[in-house]
Amino acid sequence: MTPLRFDDRFLKKLEYLHVVSKRAFAGHNRADRLTPTRGRGLEFADHRPYTPGDDFRHIDWNAYKRLNRLLLRLFDEERDLPIYLMLDVSRSMAEPAKFDMARQLAAALCYIGLVHLDKLTILPFGAGLGRETAAGRGRGRIFRVFEELERLEAGGDTDLRASFREFASRPRQAGLTVVISDFLDRDGFDAGLKILRTLEHDVFAVHVTSLNDRDPGALGEVRFVDAETGELREVEVTPRLAAAYVRAWEAHAEHLQHFCGRYDVGYVRADAERPFEEIVLKAFRQGRFVA
Amino acid sequence: MTFAALAGWQAWALIAGAVTVAVALFLIRLKPPRTVVPSLLLWRRVLDNPRELTLWERIRRAVSLVLTALIALLLAFAVARPARVAAPSDGSSPRMLIVIDSSWSMQARTSSGERRWDRAVAEARRLLSSAPGGEVAVGTTADGLVEGPTTDTALLEGALDGIVPAGSDATAWPHLAGAVVHFITDGATPRITAPGVVVHSVFEAAPNVAITALHVRPSLTGDRAADAYLEIANYATVPQSVQVTLARGAGVIFDRPLEVGPSGILRQVVPLSRGGDAVLRARIAAPANALDIDDEAVAWIERATPLSITVIGGETSWLRAAFERDPEVRARFIEPAAYAGPPTSRGTEEDLLIFDGWAPPERPDRPALLFAPPPSTEWLSEGTVDGGRPVVPQEERRPRWDVPGAHRVVQGVDPFTLVIDRARAYSAAGLVPVAQSLRGTPLVYVSEAPGARLVLVTFGTHESNLAGAPGFPVLLANALDWLARPAGDNRTTGLVTLPGEVVTLKDPAGNPIPIVHVGNSTTGILRVPGIHVAEGAGPRRMIAVNAGEPGVSNLTWSSLQASEHARTVPPGGSSRPWWIYCALAAFALALVEWWTWQRRITV
Repeated sequence: MTPLRFDDRFLKKLEYLHVVSKRAFAGHNRADRLTPTRGRGLEFADHRPYTPGDDFRHIDWNAYKRLNRLLLRLFDEERDLPIYLMLDVSRSMAEPAKFDMARQLAAALCYIGLVHLDKLTILPFGAGLGRETAAGRGRGRIFRVFEELERLEAGGDTDLRASFREFASRPRQAGLTVVISDFLDRDGFDAGLKILRTLEHDVFAVHVTSLNDRDPGALGEVRFVDAETGELREVEVTPRLAAAYVRAWEAHAEHLQHFCGRYDVGYVRADAERPFEEIVLKAFRQGRFVA
Repeated sequence: MTFAALAGWQAWALIAGAVTVAVALFLIRLKPPRTVVPSLLLWRRVLDNPRELTLWERIRRAVSLVLTALIALLLAFAVARPARVAAPSDGSSPRMLIVIDSSWSMQARTSSGERRWDRAVAEARRLLSSAPGGEVAVGTTADGLVEGPTTDTALLEGALDGIVPAGSDATAWPHLAGAVVHFITDGATPRITAPGVVVHSVFEAAPNVAITALHVRPSLTGDRAADAYLEIANYATVPQSVQVTLARGAGVIFDRPLEVGPSGILRQVVPLSRGGDAVLRARIAAPANALDIDDEAVAWIERATPLSITVIGGETSWLRAAFERDPEVRARFIEPAAYAGPPTSRGTEEDLLIFDGWAPPERPDRPALLFAPPPSTEWLSEGTVDGGRPVVPQEERRPRWDVPGAHRVVQGVDPFTLVIDRARAYSAAGLVPVAQSLRGTPLVYVSEAPGARLVLVTFGTHESNLAGAPGFPVLLANALDWLARPAGDNRTTGLVTLPGEVVTLKDPAGNPIPIVHVGNSTTGILRVPGIHVAEGAGPRRMIAVNAGEPGVSNLTWSSLQASEHARTVPPGGSSRPWWIYCALAAFALALVEWWTWQRRITV
C-alpha cells in the first residue's frame, strides 16, 4: 500500500480548489461558504426595516441620514458544507492501483474540504456501512485523515443498496455525498444511487477503474476467481469473447454515466492508470466537481 | 460378459481405472491459471448471453471430456477383449459345430475387398454370437477340430483369430456328436455334406488368373536339360494381358506379357538348357486376379546340371570310358596322391567322389562310390578293431551273386552277367549290405549317413569282369542317381502319399512335416506351396508343391451354385476381431481430439 503523501506543490494547488456543490447547504459551523440564510457573515446581503428588538449594531445609520428611516443591514450567513466521502472498500477494490487511487482521491477531497473548513465525514462501505470518521475542520487535520485512510483495508462484498440505505437510516445534514467506487455490484448500482438522491443530497460519483477491469488480458484458458465471492468460472478467452467482455464493460460504464446524468448525479471516471494529479486537477474540474 | 485377455475383475478394474485416469488427466490438463478479477459480474453477463457463446462453445468442454473418456474406454476394451458369455448349458440347448472351409480358394478377394475367408470368419463370429447357449466348437477342413466344445466365447474368438487357410483335405472334417453343424464354404471344393449340415455360402464369383500347371519333362533332344510345360488359365470373362515370368534361381529365362482370352488357357513349352539352378519358378501378374496363391508355381528340374564327379584311383580308364560319352556327367580323374582331403576342406564343389581301389584315410563328407577299397582302411574297419589292430576282413573266392537286390542301387542289375573272382566283407558302422553272395558275403553296401551317402562295391575291375559286364552301366547309373541325383515330383497341397522308404519330409522352410507310415507307404500333409524334400532309402525326392489347379483357381464356379440349401453370407462382414476396431476407433478419436484441440475447436 502506497503511503498517502502529497508534496507541497500539489497541496498548494489543492488549496486553490474548493468542492463545488450545485446547491447551497447550511452547516452548523461558521465557515466561508455562503448559505441561503441571513446571518452574521461578512458579505452584505440586503436591508430591511428595523423592528423593535433588532440588534442596534446592524442599523445602517448612513441610510437613516439619507432616507430618515431606520434600516437594518443584513449579511449572508457563511457556514460549512457537510461533505460525506463514501469510499468503497470491498474486495473488488483490492487491486493496489485501484485502491490507492480511491484513497488518494478521498484524501485530496478531504484536504480541499478541510482547507475550506467544510465538515468532512469519511464513510467506508462494502457490504454495509463501515465505521465513519469525522475528519474535523482545518488543514491541520489532514494527517489524521491520511492515517485514517491508510488504515482502511479492502474486504468483503459490495452492496451499494444496503450501504446507502444504512447511510440514509441516520439523520444527517443535507450536503454533498461523494461516492468513490468501482460500482461493480452484483445487484447493480441503480438502487443504491437512487437512495442517495432521495436524501436531497448533492451526489457525486467517482468511478474508479483499472485496466484489469476493462480488459480480460491474455487469451486462452483462464480460471477467473471473483475477488469478493470466491466464485470460480473457467473461461477460454477467445478474441471474440474478449471483445464481448470489453463491450460489456463499456456498456456498464456508459450505463453508469447515463444513469448519473439522468438523476443529476455528478460523474467522473478515474482510471487507475492515469496520473492522480491529472484526475484531480483536470477531470474533477471538467466534471465541475471542484473549481 | 467375459474377457479374453484378462480375468473379469482385472478387466473391470482396468476399464474403470482407465476412464478415471483419463478424466482426471483431462481435468488436470484443463486446470488453467487462476486469475483473480474484481468481479465476475461482467463475465457472467457475457457468458450468460446466448449471443456471445455459440452452442458449440457451451458444450465443447463436455464433448472433449466425453471424447477423452471414450478413448480410454475403447482402449481398455481393446486390451481386455470382452466377449459375450453364453448361458450355462442345461442340456436342452443344442451344441453347435462351426466348420470353415480352409481351401486355398477361400483366400480369394471379393468385390468388396475382403477375402472369402474374412467373410467366413465374420459369419462364424455371427454364428458364435447368436449361439443359443450350448457348447460350441470351431474347426476347419484342414485342421479338424480347432477349439471346443466350450461355452467360453473368448476361447472360440481366440481360435477364430488364429486359424488361416491352409488348403483342405476331406479327412480333416471335424466331428462333434449331437451338434448342429454349420459349414461355411465357397463351394470351390465339392463336398458331400451329411444331412442336416447348414451350409453358409461365401461364394462370390471373381475373375482370376492362375498357373494351373508347371511341369518339367525330360527333353527328347540331348542338347538341353528339359522342357518346362506351363499352363496359365484366365478365369475371367474378359481377355487379360498376363505378365509371365519364368526363372531358374536368380536368372530369368522368360519374362513377357501374354494375352489370354476369356476363359482361355495358355499352354507354353519353354526349353531349359543344361546348367543353372534346379528350381524353376513361374510367376504371373494380371489386372483382374483375385487369388494370389496360384500366381506362383515351382518345379524341380532333374539332371539340370551335369554331375560333377572326381574319380580317384590308379587305373581308372574303365570309368573314363563310361563317363566320357555321358553329357550329364563332368568327370575329373586324379591319382590318390593328388587327393588332398575331404572336398569341403579343399573348397571344391564335387557332387560325387568315386574311389577305385583306394580309399581316403577319413570318411568323405560328400556322397561317394567306392570300388574294392583296401581292407586296411581304418574307417572301413572301425567296427572290428580288436586290441588296437584292425581285423582283416573276410574274403570269398569266386562268390556267386544269384539273388537280385531290392535296393534302388542294385535294381535292374543282372547279376548273372557278373563274374567275380574275389569279394571282401567290410564291417564299418552304418554299412548295410544290399547285395550278397550265396555264402553271405556282401557284394554291395550302402550307407545312409545324412549328407554323405555311400555305396561300396566290394570287388574291383581286377577281381571281376565289372567293366565289361552288361549290369555295370545299370549299377553305375543307379548308384549315381541314388547318391547325388534327386528325383523330381509334382504334387498339390493336401494329403500326400509317398513310398514307404521315405523317412523324413521337410517343408520349404526346412521344418520337418509329421509323417505316418501306413503299410508300404508314407503319408503326410503338405500345407504350403514350394519345394519339399523327402529323404529315405531311395534317391532324395524334391516335391514341387503348387496350389494352382482348376478346382482352386476357377473362382467363377462353385458347387453351391446348384444348391438351394446354402445360405448366402452377405458381404461387408469383417473378419477382424472387433477389439481391433476399438483400438482403431480410439486412435481415430485421439487424432480428432488432438486436431481440434490444436485449432481450439475443442479444449
